Amino acid sequence: MTVVTTLQAVSRRNFLMTAAAGLGAASLAGRAGPALAAEPINFATWSAAVDTVKSHIAAFEAKTGVKVAYSNSPWAQYRETMITKFIGKAPVDTLWVSDSWLPEWAEAGWIAPVDQYKSLTDNSDVDQFCVDSMTYKGKQYGNTYYSDYMAFIYNAEMLDKAGIKTPPQSWAEVASQAKTIKDKGLAQWPVLISMAQESWLIEFMTAMVYSNGGRFVDDKGNAVMQDPGAGAGPALRWLVDAVQKQQILSPSCVETGELAVLKAFSSGEHAFGLIPKYRLRTLNDPAQSKIAGNAKIALMPAGEKGSHATVGWMRFYGMTPRAQADATRAADTVKLMEWFGGKADGEYKFQKMLFKDVGSGFGVKSLFSDPEIRAAYASYGDVDLIGKQQSLARKKDVVTPWFGEWNDINGTAWQQAIMGKITVEQALNNSAAKWTELKKQS
Amino acid sequence: MTTSVAAAKPRLRGPLTYDERVAFLFVAPLAVVLMAVAVFPILYSFWISLFSVKLTRPGRTPFVGLDNYVTVLSDPQFWYAVERTAFFAVLCVVAISVLALLVALLLNEEFPGRRVLSAVLLVPWAIPYVANALMWKWIYDSNYGALNGLLYQLDFINSYMVWLGDSDKTLALIANAFVWKEVPLATILLLVGLKTIPADLHAAAKVDGANAISRFFHVTLPSLKSSFGLVVVYETMMAIRHFDLFFILTEGGPGDASHVVAWRIYVETFRNLSFGTGAAMAYILALATLALAYAIIRALARKI
Repeated sequence: MTVVTTLQAVSRRNFLMTAAAGLGAASLAGRAGPALAAEPINFATWSAAVDTVKSHIAAFEAKTGVKVAYSNSPWAQYRETMITKFIGKAPVDTLWVSDSWLPEWAEAGWIAPVDQYKSLTDNSDVDQFCVDSMTYKGKQYGNTYYSDYMAFIYNAEMLDKAGIKTPPQSWAEVASQAKTIKDKGLAQWPVLISMAQESWLIEFMTAMVYSNGGRFVDDKGNAVMQDPGAGAGPALRWLVDAVQKQQILSPSCVETGELAVLKAFSSGEHAFGLIPKYRLRTLNDPAQSKIAGNAKIALMPAGEKGSHATVGWMRFYGMTPRAQADATRAADTVKLMEWFGGKADGEYKFQKMLFKDVGSGFGVKSLFSDPEIRAAYASYGDVDLIGKQQSLARKKDVVTPWFGEWNDINGTAWQQAIMGKITVEQALNNSAAKWTELKKQS
Repeated sequence: MTTSVAAAKPRLRGPLTYDERVAFLFVAPLAVVLMAVAVFPILYSFWISLFSVKLTRPGRTPFVGLDNYVTVLSDPQFWYAVERTAFFAVLCVVAISVLALLVALLLNEEFPGRRVLSAVLLVPWAIPYVANALMWKWIYDSNYGALNGLLYQLDFINSYMVWLGDSDKTLALIANAFVWKEVPLATILLLVGLKTIPADLHAAAKVDGANAISRFFHVTLPSLKSSFGLVVVYETMMAIRHFDLFFILTEGGPGDASHVVAWRIYVETFRNLSFGTGAAMAYILALATLALAYAIIRALARKI
């Protein structure tokens, strides 16, 4: 009877109010308490060197006690995946960023400058084009993950058979040597350059444009690609002539992607190729290449008004505003970025691991004098020449928030010119017009 | 009489009967799922098409009404893509219809190995679109493709040809890959139609002195009109909205040779991340497909 009385005293409304208050308090306590602090650092990458990354994370966790939640997605869909995550406010603290996306992501506020973290912005040992590639509107947005450049590689054995003693120093020499090789029946298409519509295309184009002394845009971001004196004309004209007149470059270059170029060059059917430098190791690997030992790097041929300049690219560790919003999380994220992009236990461990595993380049100058690196490079390349070419690399001048949209139009225009559907001038005018339109819209 | 007519009329108001309530209960879960995964996205994408939505400009999505539609329809590149799409669709539908008819006529005859051939015929249909595209990419590759290898070994060519990289050939080659995949289904549909033609019709035509060709044009073909209608409508819709082969084989290239509407929708939506204009373009394509299908059905219905 007493029990009944007590239960009756607790009305339904009182019970619900008490329960709601209790749940609310528990929820608040959970939010304010150790739950957030205990949440791991969220680290997103594209699917490259996954096992190497995992092992380096494990070492970081063991050393610092900071937990890391690692996720990766394919490179081909990485930009779209990350943007969807940003829009959906998925937890991301640090991530790999391509230099091509920096302005877009910075303008959208998805990544934040890291200037306030001095350990991340000590650039004394970093190549200048890498620093430039991580900088937008005067602010630095991360520290180095990996960098590389477009290299000019030749098949020494084929040159030898053709009686050519030294590799070409200029694009005119490339054409004449290729013609000799073709005439001697050593190769149907001596030159191999990818002009397929894929993410690599801008790097191939820019290497050609820089070495021919041209630019796509000036320092103020205005289109100059169509300018006969300072633009991209000589580079595109060389490509068009190589396909249409001299027939030293296959018309199929418009469908041959970077990976296909690598496979084709390793087959030994070509003499000269524009190939990312880190592929040199694969080309000299007997298990993967028929020209192992004969794939050599030369300085990028110079155009009539050009130099041996090439394009360099950069992938770096970016940091999100989410990570910076909380001091503890920010500090842990910085530690992780240092561990990967800077020194771990006093040395550039991750850069060396990547170099050893896949031959990836690095933006750290002192690594060129590292005995281990030099010994590894010496087995398949000329380390001094590799370093010299890297010092001549420059960042892409077209990296802007509207780069992606323009890139499709530009690629189409170049391909049309190479196929002879439109003139070089028309292609560059179309490309410049789109650039100007997008710049105005922004 | 009055009573029976009243009874035949559907009930418009009033409480649900027990059976109706039970039926509603069973249908409700599926209806909710369909609303969530089909109806809502369709309506929401239309809503998005009325805004300037660009994912790289978060927080700035002004209402623009029908501006996205105006922008798309006044873009010469869009109309170029429409032209490419129409060319591709016509090429595919004609080729599929002719080839499927020939194969269906063959399989309608009795001969040794007919069942095995019928089973083999289904293989392309069973292959997923992406696998089909990758297979044709290998076949067409200018450097190491099977097509060049075959033609070279047969002495039809002196040196390897450029296939997908030749903008004059690109659409026809993609159409060929599409036709290869789609012919089996069209064949089955036409074969079913052939099986339903009464043998008496052919027998009567024979008695009247009609030869095989006359019987084909005056008996077989007219009897297949409804099956043909189905094939033409279905394959037209498939060809107009096809994307996979363009994505894997050419990525819209070389140049703008394979810039069909479906490719432009992909680029606008998922590369440029302009969801507003991308959704508008998708709606225009959907409405055009619907209108075209309706027109084909009406045209065929008049003739049947």
